[in-house]
Amino acid sequence: MLFQQVINGLTLGSVYAIIALGYTMVYGILELINFAHGEIYMLGAYLGIIFLGIFTTMGLTAYSLPLAVFLTVVLAIFFCSAYGFTMEKVAYKPLRNAPRLSPLISAIGVSIFLQNYVMITQGATDRVFPYRFGEKHLHFMNAEVTWLQGSIIAVSAILMISLHMFQKTRMGKAMRATAQDKTMAALVGINVDSIISLTFVIGAGLAAVAGVMVASYYGLVNHFIGYVAGIKAFTAAVLGGIGSIPGAMLGGIILGLIESTGAAYISSEYKDAYAFVILIIILLIKPSGILGRHTEEKV
Amino acid sequence: MKCFSLVLTVCVAFLILGTGCSKKENTIKLAIVAQMTGAQAKIGSDFKNGGGIAAEEWNAKGGVLGKKVEIILGDDQADPKQAVEVANKLVNEGVAGIVGHYNSSCSIPASDVYNRANITMITPASTNPLVTERGYRNVLRICGRDDQQGKVAADFASKRLAIKRVAIIHDKTTYGQGLADEFRKNLGRGIEVVYAGGITIGDKDFKPVLTSIKDKKPDLIYFGGIYPETGLLVKQAREVELMAPFMSGDGSIDPKFVEIAGSKSAEGTYLTFSPDPKNIPAARGFMEKYAAKYGEMGPYSIYAYEAANILLTAIQAAGTTDGRAVMEKIHSMEFNGSLGKIKFTEKGDVAQSPYVVWITKNGKFEEYWKP
Repeated sequence: MLFQQVINGLTLGSVYAIIALGYTMVYGILELINFAHGEIYMLGAYLGIIFLGIFTTMGLTAYSLPLAVFLTVVLAIFFCSAYGFTMEKVAYKPLRNAPRLSPLISAIGVSIFLQNYVMITQGATDRVFPYRFGEKHLHFMNAEVTWLQGSIIAVSAILMISLHMFQKTRMGKAMRATAQDKTMAALVGINVDSIISLTFVIGAGLAAVAGVMVASYYGLVNHFIGYVAGIKAFTAAVLGGIGSIPGAMLGGIILGLIESTGAAYISSEYKDAYAFVILIIILLIKPSGILGRHTEEKV
Repeated sequence: MKCFSLVLTVCVAFLILGTGCSKKENTIKLAIVAQMTGAQAKIGSDFKNGGGIAAEEWNAKGGVLGKKVEIILGDDQADPKQAVEVANKLVNEGVAGIVGHYNSSCSIPASDVYNRANITMITPASTNPLVTERGYRNVLRICGRDDQQGKVAADFASKRLAIKRVAIIHDKTTYGQGLADEFRKNLGRGIEVVYAGGITIGDKDFKPVLTSIKDKKPDLIYFGGIYPETGLLVKQAREVELMAPFMSGDGSIDPKFVEIAGSKSAEGTYLTFSPDPKNIPAARGFMEKYAAKYGEMGPYSIYAYEAANILLTAIQAAGTTDGRAVMEKIHSMEFNGSLGKIKFTEKGDVAQSPYVVWITKNGKFEEYWKP
């Protein structure tokens, strides 16, 4: 039973982790908490429902399910990245040199806008995922792992590994340089603006994948899911140390495990509270988060 | 100049407000209030369609007291705070009666507002005992009560299913927790409650709690709550191979439940609800009309229709929209409508409200067991 709970927690945690990456990457570069990031994830979930619905009516799902799912994910990434890119250009770039509070308020504005936009265009009711993945199980050490659960964990792992490898490339190095010092990065010939855009695009792409996975896993989506998921992922990012990429991954997985074991062994009534209790404890002991480095105030 | 434009703005504002007020009361306003948006919005539209048909029928016959019936919609978003706000707004609009609310947690606080304003409220669906237990003469319901419903469910579990071990979950709302408590209270001595706990509405991941329930090997899982959570619970239970049958109350008997859970997982889920209106000859007319206009009827469409009809009949019989006269008329009259004969008790409950057990079969609900 413990192993089953670990699988439950790992599924949830890996989703939190890849949403948390979007928070932490943007924070690393702009020191901005992008509160609209949860909404991008919600858009991803809706786009997943819409595209898979279209593919099902076209008959593509019946012809080849993996192809339909793959195309759905690719299209969701594409559109969410476009949203991420536009969001940065419209809401944050004009405020680059404004006091730190202004972009934060702008982020909350974007979040409210996107939520209501989806509510008006898609309706205020729950949407059900158009395709039901089989209930086939993998019996594994006394636990039931559905194929979908396995794929969520696997896809998240692949994404995290590729993001880690990306950091070692030329572009990744430029991104890390920008995070360290924007002015110096510009002086050595890095196009800071395009690096910032790239950060938003990658973050939004990851959130889109998370959105599609969650929509297919739970099968139920509404315009409000981005808020809760955003808060949880933000908690994960802070838990791991905001600004740190491995920290976000670790924080997400820890959060998922705490939630599922807490709900199972203590009480399911306070499921949401466990995450925040742990967050408070960590912040009291290590204010910069588990893997966060203490940053000196830049002079 | 600045001063002048300011004065002008104020004048225009007053003019706009004035047009709202000076409109003569040429209609009888009937409020239909439930969750029109949010996860349970399907119920809201069932209420709206059912009550709307009643208003149309009265208007086709020439209205009530010679005036047209006008439907005012209220959206409580299934949220008690919002319910009180909407209730105040409806009172200010001068509605003659209320069809609503759906959730007991909304009906109870909102009924305080209606009670102060002497407006009669008939809820088609709020089953918590407390709704009519507070001595409010203006608060009535045409559905059953959870103490009746919980007892029927408990009888079914112990006599028909002969279970030994049961897990009880609720959604922490007035309705859900109340129903789960009534169910538990009425279980016989021979049945062991192996798990009892709450979940949060709006949460999507119930696998941790279902996994620990699976470990306790229950023969039945009873859930007090509404269909979005019921659907997710049933779906995820099957995913962790928890195969024990589910049982729930009238809040889950909705096609959306099957849609969310998937008809394979939902198969064999027991639900307590009123008898099938298909077997009531008087309901046929309404059901045909509804099907032609809106498609398949929701479980509470006919209750909303009947609640609206009772209110309008009482207003017609009282000869006035005065709140006190209307509520006394409702208490003294016997109504003969699409659900058969309805007479209210002193408290405001329906005199006889038999619950039966339904079963989910091939994605549809069927009557299954009579106590």
